[in-house]
Amino acid sequence: MSTSKDIYSPKLNETYGAHHPINHMQDFVLNLLKNLGFEIATGPEIESEEFNFDMLNIKKTHPARQMHDTFYVEEKSRVLRTHTSPVQIRCMLEKKPPLAYISGGKVYRKDDDATHLPMFHQVEGICVDKNINFAHLKDLIFKIVNELFGSSVKLRFRPSYFPFTEPSAEVDIQSEDGNWLEILGCGIVNPIVLKNCNINPDEYSGLAFGLGIERIAMLKYGVNDIREFYKSNLDFLNQFK
Amino acid sequence: MKISYKHLIQNLESNPSIDEISERLFQLGHEHEICDEIFDMELTPNRGDCQSLNGILRDLNLFYEVKINTQIYDSEIPKFEFNFQNNAVDKCSHISFLKIEIDKHNQEYKDELKTYFDVLKINKNNFFTDISNYISYETGQPTHCYDATKITQNISLDFIETNEIFETVLGHKTQLRGKNLVFIDKNKIINLAGIMGGNETSCSDSTTSVIVECANFNPEFIIGKSVQYNLKSEAAHKFERGVDPFCHDFILRRFLKIVDNHAKIKKVEIFNKLYKKPESILIKYDKSQINNILGTDINDDEMQNYLFKLNLHIENQFIVVPSYRNDIKTQNDIAEEIARAIGYNNIKKSELNMPCLSSSSEKVLEKGIKNFLISRGFFEVINFPFNSENKKNSIRVDNPLDSNREFLRTSLKHSLLNNLIYNEKRQKDCIKLFEISDIYDSSCFEKARRKLGIISCGRIENNYLNFSKKIDQIFLNNTLKEIIIEGDFKIEQISRDNIGSKFKNDIYYAEIDLDEHKFSKSLDEQTNFSPDEFALYEPISEFPVSSRDLSFLIGDPTQFKTLEETILNFKNKLVKEIFIFDFYNNKDKNILKVAFRFIFQSNSKTVTDIEVNEVMDLIIKDSLKIRSIEIPGLKK
Repeated sequence: MSTSKDIYSPKLNETYGAHHPINHMQDFVLNLLKNLGFEIATGPEIESEEFNFDMLNIKKTHPARQMHDTFYVEEKSRVLRTHTSPVQIRCMLEKKPPLAYISGGKVYRKDDDATHLPMFHQVEGICVDKNINFAHLKDLIFKIVNELFGSSVKLRFRPSYFPFTEPSAEVDIQSEDGNWLEILGCGIVNPIVLKNCNINPDEYSGLAFGLGIERIAMLKYGVNDIREFYKSNLDFLNQFK
Repeated sequence: MKISYKHLIQNLESNPSIDEISERLFQLGHEHEICDEIFDMELTPNRGDCQSLNGILRDLNLFYEVKINTQIYDSEIPKFEFNFQNNAVDKCSHISFLKIEIDKHNQEYKDELKTYFDVLKINKNNFFTDISNYISYETGQPTHCYDATKITQNISLDFIETNEIFETVLGHKTQLRGKNLVFIDKNKIINLAGIMGGNETSCSDSTTSVIVECANFNPEFIIGKSVQYNLKSEAAHKFERGVDPFCHDFILRRFLKIVDNHAKIKKVEIFNKLYKKPESILIKYDKSQINNILGTDINDDEMQNYLFKLNLHIENQFIVVPSYRNDIKTQNDIAEEIARAIGYNNIKKSELNMPCLSSSSEKVLEKGIKNFLISRGFFEVINFPFNSENKKNSIRVDNPLDSNREFLRTSLKHSLLNNLIYNEKRQKDCIKLFEISDIYDSSCFEKARRKLGIISCGRIENNYLNFSKKIDQIFLNNTLKEIIIEGDFKIEQISRDNIGSKFKNDIYYAEIDLDEHKFSKSLDEQTNFSPDEFALYEPISEFPVSSRDLSFLIGDPTQFKTLEETILNFKNKLVKEIFIFDFYNNKDKNILKVAFRFIFQSNSKTVTDIEVNEVMDLIIKDSLKIRSIEIPGLKK
């Protein structure tokens, strides 16, 4: 019995849908980095071991390469990429420095519990040029974190270990309750990785960083359980309009 | 790995607080939590040298004067004529065996052995195993103790294919698989090398004659084995990260010293075999390059002082890397050591000028498609790619999480159907979902097909214009035709057979290959539906919803807006949603009819009829205050 176009017509309630919060957050981060001067690059989710591990200086003996950490497919001929770093390898093989790329997307690890999922999202970036150093990396990380969490947020850099960067760092931010929360990993590109990509490490150096999108989204939206993002519950998705 | 604060300060000249040490450890990159004055360390995998009290002390030497306990048994030890056969030299480059015979040992432990068990609250095992565990804690070098009366003098180390059942020292029976590095005696495996010893040759409290094995295993042949066999092994954890290849003499003499402090030693003999001497690592000392890597301006004195404190001595302009630092090989590694010494947080940032770049290849089309579908009420979802469907071109996962996730999906349909059913079960009657994702199949690993999957069922919209209209093939077809200008697509009605759902609405699905279709250029101009702010999420309720409908007759149409605002702005913690689902303007009689739907849900329990009725009474009371408003059929 309803009719349209009526001077007394009620307001139509908003029936828009919504972007998935993880894709929204990933686009936000990519856009932020694009504005800082990075080019966006993409790459396949099914990778060779060479690009996912070897080129990144992840030795055959590294625990991450074990069957209990990495998904192998088609009789161990390929892996589901465990990070988006192989995209950076492809970029460095295609283009000579100076270069600055970011890539975002799905990555896979053989985990499935309350705090880890077998698939999650990363955004990683690399910048290679002459004379890039750790002080530059800190400058960039401060810019990214301040854009994401505000200029008053406190940061802490901790030494860490990634085979593809040396020195390596993890970055924490301080929450309102005083606790430190890890938000990203970064470092100076290991010269071995540059060499693997036919870039002369005596001439060029690079910085690299990577953020877990789910981690950032949980902090920004206040979602405590990572699994909520993947239940496709309309009550949940409806909140991210 | 747990390290006692008490043990740390016992070895420091000064007396720093636990908080100060904690801060220093973070500066060094040694993440940890503190519980009852114990540091529960989570060390990075490259720092095998720090998996011990002494290892941590060596790093703390950057900040404090450290005095590591080096009391060892310093008498000469006769040679042990042990007929050991190493058949896996490339997997074990150095091995030693120490044979000790004692009368009996003191029942009460003393000195470091006592405080180790007291402070760390660790269960004791037997005398020799307890010392072995302590030595591992203090020095980082695992040792293994065989009861000398339970093995022959003819054991060997082999790398063999075996499917034997091995009983560990802890009594677990483990089915070995594939190739394993094992110690063998009389054709029987007595020790899973570097991981866990066997039950049959283990020590007990009555053991008075022991053979202590101290080895340097190649991490490559240890990694993953403890996980594979589900054995919790601290030794494996340490061997996987690498141990000091040159420590055997010190370790075994330290072991012996502690035995000596607790028992009368009757006899001691040592077997030591170095099969391959590891090469010394020398790195050119280059202050400028280190400063270039870090963006710092550290002078020679300061830099050399840091290196000295880390036991990185400079000889003839080359830094000599100690044998326990298997993580230092390059100039960048040295730079990291300097950065840790000064503190990453103390390195000043320096403006980075990004190189000039070409334009990015963004997914503009996808953004347009997403924004269009969102404007039509569709929600974007993301699903995991794993399923159990073995299609013709499915890619098989070699090591799936379980048999339901053995293949990569070749279509988005199954995932989206599951999403739809999930929401139907949560009483949603208007479900419109889409997903854009890469799809892989075995015909082409390198190039994914980018697909849009779209699924819908139920009402077209929860508003008075479309409430009574159900989603059908035409709706989905028309929606897609608004954006697809070239390329066929098929709308599929998904059968409800075998879905296991009591709902009856028709389900429609379409899957579009983004590379094989041409899309309307107007997609570029779609409104962007990305919110600018990140609103804080409110936890959703898992309790069932309850709904009520209320119809009004409005005698004076000018009062409609007042009623609309009163009801749509009504706030109550149980009311999740209110919308107008029907509206009729009877112009002949100059009256309006409007119907509202109220959705109730509690965050803490199933909402009751009584609670709903109480809220409805409030709404009715507020509404009836408005002039000319009636509720047909309302019992007064």
